[in-house]
Amino acid sequence: MQDINVLVVFCSRTEPLALAAALGCVQAKANIRLRWLREAAGGETMENRRHMEQEYIAPRAVDAEWAHAILIGVHGEPPEIKEYLDSLNALRSEGKLAAKTETVFLAVPDAQAGSQSESQSWPPATLESARLQGRQVAEAARAMKATHHSSTAV
Amino acid sequence: MITIRRSQERGHADHGWLNTYHTFSFASYYDPAHMGFRSLRVLNDDRVAAGRGFGAHAHRDMEILTYVLDGSLVHKDSMGEKRTFGANTVQAMSAGTGVVHSEFNASETDPVRFLQIWIEPSVEETEPSYQQIPFDPAEKSGRLRLLAAPKEGVNGVPAAVIHQDAFVYAAVLGAGETLQRNLAPGRHAWVQVARGNLTVNGHTLAEGDGAAVSAESELSFSGAGPDGSEFLLFDLA
Repeated sequence: MQDINVLVVFCSRTEPLALAAALGCVQAKANIRLRWLREAAGGETMENRRHMEQEYIAPRAVDAEWAHAILIGVHGEPPEIKEYLDSLNALRSEGKLAAKTETVFLAVPDAQAGSQSESQSWPPATLESARLQGRQVAEAARAMKATHHSSTAV
Repeated sequence: MITIRRSQERGHADHGWLNTYHTFSFASYYDPAHMGFRSLRVLNDDRVAAGRGFGAHAHRDMEILTYVLDGSLVHKDSMGEKRTFGANTVQAMSAGTGVVHSEFNASETDPVRFLQIWIEPSVEETEPSYQQIPFDPAEKSGRLRLLAAPKEGVNGVPAAVIHQDAFVYAAVLGAGETLQRNLAPGRHAWVQVARGNLTVNGHTLAEGDGAAVSAESELSFSGAGPDGSEFLLFDLA
């Protein structure tokens, strides 16, 4: 079985979705890295901010270079996401990302837009969807890697 | 036959917030001669600074035991568990099909020291589970207190159930205090000194030392040094 690495990048609000997606990746036997895209204006409690700062580091270039798939889960369109996507494009243009590295956006339902409630408030069905999406992304990355290997081996 | 693994021969990494010793290959420490013993794959002696810890990360198909020596840990995982525990408790997580979890020092002022143990399961793809079993420290004083076993309640002692033919015990022996243990034919053992000094069948072990035991029918432990010892015993297939 192909060894697959998935980088999961998320913001404070989507942490539970990212964790669920990461679990799906692990269930698909992928290695994961969880990285917090720190928002300048998170609208979150001090306690949660502290928790995020304590638990996660920001995505680094080496994380993207390590990944076969990048799963991005953000709420709305924070300015930080454009900056991050630009950094990925720069890496890609420098040839530092694997040829088959895919960037996929985690589905974040609109129904949650604007909500500042505690992160644990995501409905179980939404978390389950995130888990399934994580699993699908890992499986797709594995299939793509296998295809890439077999085509380059010919 | 007893083979000693000295404390100072272990892998070591000091990240500032984490000062860790690896009895077996782990993370950036790799030694093909020390990849584990029987089903015992990882034995880390970790010291984590106040308020620091391991952020969310994943495990699969591994039986993970944590035994706190000083301080306390906060654990959170994808099964919905959020627990705090300290010494005289065995925490066991069967990663099975996959678990995402974090573990942090529960204190903002004091460090935490703990042994983290990975045992390879005999079966894969099991349902993940979490167990946390506290016990009275008197239960490990002068005797072996069962921490984990492949079945529930051996001799009526509550212990974590793991997916492997492995029995894990803790014991504390005062200076000169002795303890005997039979090792069944075909069984192997690993002895890990958590604190103090210990003799095992005449071999002297210091804190952090380990001993691989095979083809021995009996183990004789004696607390050594001024304060005796706290140690773990792994009875392995």
